[in-house]
Amino acid sequence: MSTSDDNAKQISPEAAGDDAAASSSEIKNKEQGNGFGGPVTLFFILGFAVSLILGWVIAPEMLYSQKKQPIDYNHALHVAEVGDGCESCHFFRADGTFSGVPKLELCVDCHEEVQGEDPNEIKFVEEYVVKEREVPWLIYSKQPDCVFFSHAAHIKGAQMDCVTCHGHIGESETSRVYEENRITGYSRDIWGKNIAGFKKNSWDRMKMDDCAECHQKEFTVQRTDVKTPINRLLDNFIAVSFPGMEAPAGIGDSVQTQRDACFVCHK
Amino acid sequence: MKKDKRYGMVIDLDKCTGCGSCMAACMAENNVPFREDESNKLLSITWMRVYKLTNGKPFPETDVCYLPRPCMHCGGQHEGHSPCVSVCPATATDYSLKTGIVSQIYTRCFGCRYCMASCPYHARYFNWWDPVWPDGMEKYLNPKVSPRMRGVVEKCSFCFHRYQLAKEKAYIQGRRELAEDEYQTSCTQACPAGAITFGDLNNHKHSVYKDKKNPNAFRLLERLGTNPKVYYISSRAWVRRAGDNYLRNEAKPAKAVQHG
Amino acid sequence: MKIGRRSFLSFLIGGAAGTALSPMPLKLTDDSAIWTQMWPWTPVPEDGEISHVNSTCTLCPGHCGITVCKINDRAIKIEGMKGHPVNDGGICLLGVSGLQLLYGPTRVQTPLKRVGARGSGRWEKISWEAAVSEVVKQLGDLRAEGKSHSVGLITGSDRGTVPQLFARFMTAYGSNNVMRTPSMRDSYELTLQRMHGTRALPGFDFENADFILSFGSGIIDGWGSPVRMFKAFSGWRSNHGKVVQIEPRLSRTAAKSDRWIPVKPGTEGVLALGLAHVIIKEALYSSDFIDNYSVGFEDLQRLVLDKYSPDNVAAITAIDQKDIVTLARDFAAASKPLAICGRGRGSVSGSLDEFMAVHALNALVGNINKKGGVRAVSEIDYINWPEVQMDAVAAAGMQHERLDGAGSKNHPDTRSLLNRLPAAISSKEESSLQALLVTGANPLYTMPGSTAVKKAMAGIPFVVSFSSYMDETAQNADLILPNHTYLERFEDVPTPFGLQQPVTSLARPAVEPQFNTQHVGDVVIRIAKALGGSIAGAFPWEGYQTCLKETLGNKWETLMTKGFRLDDNDRAFAGQMTFDTPSGKFEFANKETGRMPQFSPIKIEGDEKLYPLVLVPYDSFRLAGGYIGTPPFAVKTVEDTVLKGKDVFVELNPETARALRLREGQHAILSTPRGQAKVKVHWFDGIRPGVVALPRGLGHTAYDKYLAEKGVNFNELIGPVEDPGTGCDAAWGIMAKLSKA
Repeated sequence: MSTSDDNAKQISPEAAGDDAAASSSEIKNKEQGNGFGGPVTLFFILGFAVSLILGWVIAPEMLYSQKKQPIDYNHALHVAEVGDGCESCHFFRADGTFSGVPKLELCVDCHEEVQGEDPNEIKFVEEYVVKEREVPWLIYSKQPDCVFFSHAAHIKGAQMDCVTCHGHIGESETSRVYEENRITGYSRDIWGKNIAGFKKNSWDRMKMDDCAECHQKEFTVQRTDVKTPINRLLDNFIAVSFPGMEAPAGIGDSVQTQRDACFVCHK
Repeated sequence: MKKDKRYGMVIDLDKCTGCGSCMAACMAENNVPFREDESNKLLSITWMRVYKLTNGKPFPETDVCYLPRPCMHCGGQHEGHSPCVSVCPATATDYSLKTGIVSQIYTRCFGCRYCMASCPYHARYFNWWDPVWPDGMEKYLNPKVSPRMRGVVEKCSFCFHRYQLAKEKAYIQGRRELAEDEYQTSCTQACPAGAITFGDLNNHKHSVYKDKKNPNAFRLLERLGTNPKVYYISSRAWVRRAGDNYLRNEAKPAKAVQHG
Repeated sequence: MKIGRRSFLSFLIGGAAGTALSPMPLKLTDDSAIWTQMWPWTPVPEDGEISHVNSTCTLCPGHCGITVCKINDRAIKIEGMKGHPVNDGGICLLGVSGLQLLYGPTRVQTPLKRVGARGSGRWEKISWEAAVSEVVKQLGDLRAEGKSHSVGLITGSDRGTVPQLFARFMTAYGSNNVMRTPSMRDSYELTLQRMHGTRALPGFDFENADFILSFGSGIIDGWGSPVRMFKAFSGWRSNHGKVVQIEPRLSRTAAKSDRWIPVKPGTEGVLALGLAHVIIKEALYSSDFIDNYSVGFEDLQRLVLDKYSPDNVAAITAIDQKDIVTLARDFAAASKPLAICGRGRGSVSGSLDEFMAVHALNALVGNINKKGGVRAVSEIDYINWPEVQMDAVAAAGMQHERLDGAGSKNHPDTRSLLNRLPAAISSKEESSLQALLVTGANPLYTMPGSTAVKKAMAGIPFVVSFSSYMDETAQNADLILPNHTYLERFEDVPTPFGLQQPVTSLARPAVEPQFNTQHVGDVVIRIAKALGGSIAGAFPWEGYQTCLKETLGNKWETLMTKGFRLDDNDRAFAGQMTFDTPSGKFEFANKETGRMPQFSPIKIEGDEKLYPLVLVPYDSFRLAGGYIGTPPFAVKTVEDTVLKGKDVFVELNPETARALRLREGQHAILSTPRGQAKVKVHWFDGIRPGVVALPRGLGHTAYDKYLAEKGVNFNELIGPVEDPGTGCDAAWGIMAKLSKA
């Protein structure tokens, strides 16, 4: 014990000397030309560039794991074969619920036996149909458990097109890579292909804001993302002080957000 | 008839037998967790709870009444001024002007429990622990309701997911409106005595519309101006009186304090 | 170039600026927020196609129709079946929690063989082959030694194909020691046999009755078919039917009834005769029925006028004379009055005198075999198997007297006296039972005098349980051959107690068997076949399902499509006034047997000086009391004035509590001649002074942690008291003492 203490004592004067040297050189630097254009600026730019590359290119790459679908599925081929477009396989049940990704049972209707020479089909029949195993498809558009999404309301009620949210997946000939967020476990399609969250098409991203985009449109009030507590306090104050006053016209169903009520999409 | 719905409940306390079916039917429907010891009722999560009221008289004049208590889905003095909605700093609880239902968004809630303090009905519960189901029992969980996590508040939703499912069916059949029997809560459906009726309080075709006008109908703590959407019916005067928590020696039921 | 501190700092600042302009801070914050909302250990239930399976609930003898809601192959909810004659869409607390039993931790998942001491909980998992051959070996050996009569069977019921297969097995094997779990059914069957001449279940048309006089029956505490009773009760509230509840404690039923008569416990029978006195004296009875369709009225008249005047009865029952008279008048004045008995849920056989006295009231007002009245409902007769061909061993075995003495000279009409079994076993040095089979019953918990029962069972060398759940009896068995639960198996379900309309329902699998269990019907057939000879010959079926299908014959189709089937033959019934008694009439009294309604008080155990209080059990609908352990959802609904932590509360009138100096919530020692237990005191105004009430259904040592080791098992504090007439247990309480802990 005593030796280490001694060592520390021995070292400290040297360290102090170093410090002194460093501070004197800093003073020199300052004197030399205020640092701009010198190595200081260079290092700033260097740090800036490195972090930008890291933040925009490397980290997003690392944040998602790349997964391949168990079977390389050709949508275009199937859509051409079936009679009823998307709904041939992604159908509504009689109770109004949406079937989503078809179960093996439906596929077997046509693929009881291998029909063509595509190695993917052969794999599908051998690995899944024969063994009666469900295909563990990776679902690009799978939402978290807290989300309630009614396909019936959008497709049947609002007469929307599948493409509006899912893009031209029906024309794809191969299954693209499924990217899974390493932290949350969700598909990259939810946050959006573009790491900055920018989107060109309606189907590029499927976050809550994207739902809100439409669900807000019919209401006149602009920018009512989420009311601040102060705003709400004021509202409440007005409401209590002037009880006769109705809530302002043109707001949404939700008292909190003045958009559609939270329960519309959450469960 | 107003287009907006105001879903509400009428509970006939004369018919209610206190059997507890509603409580269990609610737990089964809404993935309500349970723990080894549930006898501390402040911690025991029960969206629907049956309270036992007594008239406080000695033997043999004693009388007991059972009172099921879901969330009252208060409208407040102007629609949406529910005690809990108005205090939530996280926008986690909300009042829908379309249905009159007070929602709770678990993933939004950060567990401050301000709403619990503001709810005069003890209808809100906090998840002090992560829900744990014994091995294999998670198989019965209902996918239409998401299980909650530790640190959030939960409460009765009037089985809103059943509304969603009924709406989906209506869309498929090209309808927008729901019939009365298409959307019923789990407790209403389970009640063996038929004591609970559920429907749109604004719709004169629904039985709740008529039932809420029963001369023996009352609401809990009406004087607070919470404007609850759950009505009770009791032919016993002491029960009706207990419903507004009058002071022991208060002579007459005072008029509800109304701000306007 | 020297990298100085300034350059380094500059690099960091540049880095920070760059990071701020990159999307990562926001993205990572968002992702970690999502991660905290979606802990991986919070289950995410899988969604899928919704489907429904109609079946029948057999958790209690109520036999409601149920609809099991499924997502893919998971059962997610049980609801009441709409249109079912028993419950029409309603469901009870226990029924709705059924999935917790199916998927719960109390299941026995595979055949088990005991390796440690009995009850130590040390088991070895064995195959079905090994389990069956173990039973076959033990039973075969006993038979070879000529001890076939030393094998006993305890069942939950004796109706339907599964109990009948067991009974058939016992006959072919050569033992008549078949016992069923006792209930008020025992006394009601005998009452109807004496008075109607038919050994049958009573059928009460509650839906059309307008005045219900209940002698302690927990109409909404689980008596009869609970959901049906809830519905009937609700009907009375809508159509101004009156309910009068006679019992010492303000039960749920008493609280919801129109009038509560807090009778002195154990004197209900005398009150019934007192009412008869008033009705006869004031000539309020139905002279049409008395004159045309009954015999023995004079005997009854003589008895009640002689002994049961209101003032006499008032002295015994502690009910005001005036109240007795008014009650009798109200009862007789109602257009469809019904008197019922069987305390609480009816889990004790009860006193035959009391049952006959109460049933005599129904006859006095002539409300027999009428709309809104009571009738004898015969079993739907569909089990028509060929008679068992007994070999010599079986025939010899069947010649032995039953161990419990049922059907003997003293009790010729009684079919089963399970309450006597412990004493019969323990009385001899070597247990008179060498092997015991238990199915659909949990005698170790449900029988009064649990300590004695446990001791008796310890003396039986070989105990086999067929339970789906690890109940107390299974825990103390040598071998468990687990049955499928009711949601995984086929079974025919007979008419529930009290229903006026005979109905057969079908329980069918809602889900695939979850574990390595087998249908108990299949197991019996398998054991019989393995024993060979005439035993195998008595079971010509390939398996249980073939047997069931064959037995039901043309009923099978209807049951498969509808789930239930009303009896065709019964439509002819509509108020026929013929009885199967020797006289062809309703018999108030029968001179030959010397039986008539009377009151012989059942003296409960205990010395009044040592035990000044009367302890009575009460049935709470929140707690299952029988073979099924209360599932977690139901335990959760139990009030905190009944159970707090591990402590159970006894209800005590504040007056008595004050005299005993016991505060609300205080710990106390409750002792009876049979045992003692630590309890807490709950002051309750709705109970007679001097009476202590303890709930049934607690104090389990088996099942899961949500139920076990909480509270006290009432049966540990009470023992059986025999009814002199039937030999059945008629103990309605026991003397007790409460002292500070």
